[in-house]
Amino acid sequence: MIKAILLIVALLMLGCAEKLVRVMPYEKEYFAQDKMSLSPLSERAEQEGHIFLIREASAGGESSFQGGCGCR
Amino acid sequence: MKTIIITILMLCMSLFAAPKVGDDAVSFSLPSLYNDSDMVTNKSSQGKIVLLNLWASWCAGCKEEMPLFVKLQKEYSKTEFEIVLSSIDNVPQSARDFLTKVDSERTLTSLYDPSKILPKTYRCSGMPSSFLIDRRGKIIAIYIGSMDDEAIISLKSKIQTLLGQ
Repeated sequence: MIKAILLIVALLMLGCAEKLVRVMPYEKEYFAQDKMSLSPLSERAEQEGHIFLIREASAGGESSFQGGCGCR
Repeated sequence: MKTIIITILMLCMSLFAAPKVGDDAVSFSLPSLYNDSDMVTNKSSQGKIVLLNLWASWCAGCKEEMPLFVKLQKEYSKTEFEIVLSSIDNVPQSARDFLTKVDSERTLTSLYDPSKILPKTYRCSGMPSSFLIDRRGKIIAIYIGSMDDEAIISLKSKIQTLLGQ
């Protein structure tokens, strides 16, 4: 009886599974829109990206010229 | 009893498996991007080596690799090797506008997949996704993400091998 209940609970919990709510790569059209970006201004986004990289001490400068040293 | 349950579970799990290298390519029937009434099926490319590319005009990586595909297609006869694009844009005009700029001669075969059937069936884990399919309709290679010059060189060697078979 307990086994059956556990099985039913497990099946019901499948409804909360990540698979059902995950946005697949091919469903990201609306996320790709400019208005969805944190900084709609491309120049500002580049600056912010650079600051982010410096703050996170990551290597590489993404789209900006300089690296992650923060010296420029 | 245990064996039966395990077998049933395995069978159920196989239903959710994505097509992999060596498997048969997915059959489809999709309209042309430029003409809704012109339906194209996978059978149209039977006997050819096909690079099926799933893309969208909102995907930056997809747009990056497109000029490379145009150049690649021009190097081969379409009777031997064909690049088939399948756009999953919600608005097909966006895809058309982009392709007009990059492929004004319509070198690439362009399809429109409004229901996103192909990425769903192939269970794409990234955009763009490309599938190299041989003459028998088997998947030879899967490329997830944008292809660069190096990837194109590797792809070309695979095409040459397949052409030689």
